[in-house]
Amino acid sequence: MRLRAARLEPWVLMSPALLLLAAVTALPMLYVLWLSLQQRALFRPARFAGLDHYLRLAADERFWNALGNTLYFAAVSVAVELALGLGFALLLERAGRVRALVYGAVLVPWAIPSVVSARIWEWMYHPEIGLLSYLAGRPVNWLGDPALALHAAIAMDVWKSTPFVALLLLAGLQGIPRELARAAAVDGAGAWTVFRRITLPLLAPVILVAAVFRTIDALRVFDAIYVLTGGGPANTTETLSIYAYRVLFQELDFGYGSALAVVVLAITGIAALAYARLLRARIE
Amino acid sequence: MRMTLTRAGALARRRRALRALAALPLAALAGACRIREQQADALVFRHPKLFGDPQPLDALVGEFERAQGARVRRETLPASSDEQHLYYAINLSAQTREFDVLALDTIWVAEFAQAGWLRDLSHLVTHGDEHDLFEAPLASVSWRGRRYALPWFVDAGLLYYRADLLAAQGLAPPRTWVALQDAIHRVRAGQPALHGFLWQGKQYEGLVCNALEFIWSHGGDLGAGSEAAARGLAFMRRLVTAGVSPPFVTTLTEEPSRVLFGRGRALFLRNWPYAWSLLEGAGSAVRGRVGVCALPHSAGHASAATLGGWHLGVNAFSRRAALAERLAAFLAAAPAQKALALAYGYSPPRRSLYADAELTAARPFLGSLGALLDAARPRPVSPYYVAVSQVLQSEFSAVLCGRRAPEAALAAIARRHRALEAG
Repeated sequence: MRLRAARLEPWVLMSPALLLLAAVTALPMLYVLWLSLQQRALFRPARFAGLDHYLRLAADERFWNALGNTLYFAAVSVAVELALGLGFALLLERAGRVRALVYGAVLVPWAIPSVVSARIWEWMYHPEIGLLSYLAGRPVNWLGDPALALHAAIAMDVWKSTPFVALLLLAGLQGIPRELARAAAVDGAGAWTVFRRITLPLLAPVILVAAVFRTIDALRVFDAIYVLTGGGPANTTETLSIYAYRVLFQELDFGYGSALAVVVLAITGIAALAYARLLRARIE
Repeated sequence: MRMTLTRAGALARRRRALRALAALPLAALAGACRIREQQADALVFRHPKLFGDPQPLDALVGEFERAQGARVRRETLPASSDEQHLYYAINLSAQTREFDVLALDTIWVAEFAQAGWLRDLSHLVTHGDEHDLFEAPLASVSWRGRRYALPWFVDAGLLYYRADLLAAQGLAPPRTWVALQDAIHRVRAGQPALHGFLWQGKQYEGLVCNALEFIWSHGGDLGAGSEAAARGLAFMRRLVTAGVSPPFVTTLTEEPSRVLFGRGRALFLRNWPYAWSLLEGAGSAVRGRVGVCALPHSAGHASAATLGGWHLGVNAFSRRAALAERLAAFLAAAPAQKALALAYGYSPPRRSLYADAELTAARPFLGSLGALLDAARPRPVSPYYVAVSQVLQSEFSAVLCGRRAPEAALAAIARRHRALEAG
């Protein structure tokens, strides 16, 4: 009897938190899932649509294009952000006295709201009066060339999010005991070997955490690209979230738009689970 | 002892201050409620932000209030067209009574009418109005033979040109696309850094307006005459490949193109009438050197301009529909439109006003636009226009970037249109 009460107690204590989570996360999620199975659009009778929307997705060229853009954007931007972030973290760790100053400087891009930074980059990318065309020495159509536009968006995301990765990794670096590196040096290991055999393995869990955050954010990317290019030219920068927004809030097709939102949710969910597995394997 | 006393005093004071602070939001709330109560019986008029001083519109509304013994509250819409559409759609689909008279973009009327969100205003459009109003706005307020809004003011695509540079070459403003290319060729021989023709090629609603003008001015249209339509789209693509327009035209919207032209960086610009007062205003680098004419056309066809502008509708769920109808009719009548044209330079949709001596004397540019605005054409009038436009934007953009052949784009547009109509 007492044992059962003891087992029940944690659940009772957790129930307010669980209820809150259910109310703000699970319910809206289930509602979107339910909506995606319904026909809910202007001028069409509301009815149960079953898997119709998902079948339509499979044949929707624009969906596959948006999915490709989203995955490419996420893969490239996260990889570059992790590489650059690690570099900055290693440099910052050695920054010494100016560290406080450098911290501040590094954090600026992260602190600027994405819509504002998109506007800043829009000017930097301006082919006539933009800084980047000036540096390139000739007018480059950064945002209007189908082969360049998505990369321009990736560069903006890298600029904005690398500081976040760098600071997270710096915290990780500072948690690694210095004795290990010193002992390895005594044993004759060079800087590269120390980095590869000691720093990187011990930093791996933090790198994974940074990767989880960045990947989830990148897969849902919306505001920055929406302001920068509006999805153009020729849909080459249209991500899943932008497509979902258009279907939901411009075409007012809530059923099909919800199906798109469910796909975004599923992809981020799969990515998060994959990282969680990796992380658990690491820790064990 | 003294110490504790003062501390108790300080505590009490602090508590009083805190209580007063806590009461503040309550007082504010009560105040807000009172304001809402006072204004609950006011007619609400939703419209986009005005370009300038609100006083002239307030004076008009005040005139209506005195004549009708009613109160009117003006409320401004969000800034972007997408947000405005979303705002109306969300509120009207919930059968809101929060506003009575609403300003509508020309492309929304069919959609809102089909959804049952707008009152039928056919009885407010008199026989005289039908003769006086331009054709395009009248077509875009019509759905299934009824009128669901009243044309308020109109916009149309125009060609701005550098009169000084053309005159230096002894050239007249171009009437055909060939003449435009020819003029660019000749002027640029002496000024290679000058851009030829700037227009709006970013993937957004503005591209639809521009592309339709290219299609129409080649004798084509969406759906019918697709061979001519393909020629129009191919011409649009050729503007970039032939260097008539710079490659970055694929990123331009109204303002960036207007700014570049305003800095003297281009010979021709396609834009709406609003650009005139900015190009001719104090501090403009091209002041006094700009001319305006109809957009060029291909040989054997007519010039075409896309219609823009705003209509006035009445919320179908309005509690005071009769009064709301009177306000819409009052604001869309000739005297109010004349007052707004004088105050803001908005172009009225009535032929009679372009013959009005006072108006043409005060606003000579506006006076000269009558024939050009009269020739404007509406974008497809369809309850599915917003969804159709999504396809138009991406297909036109794909053609402009050379990623899609014009014929393939037109076929994709027709397919999507059929799918939407079929539900």
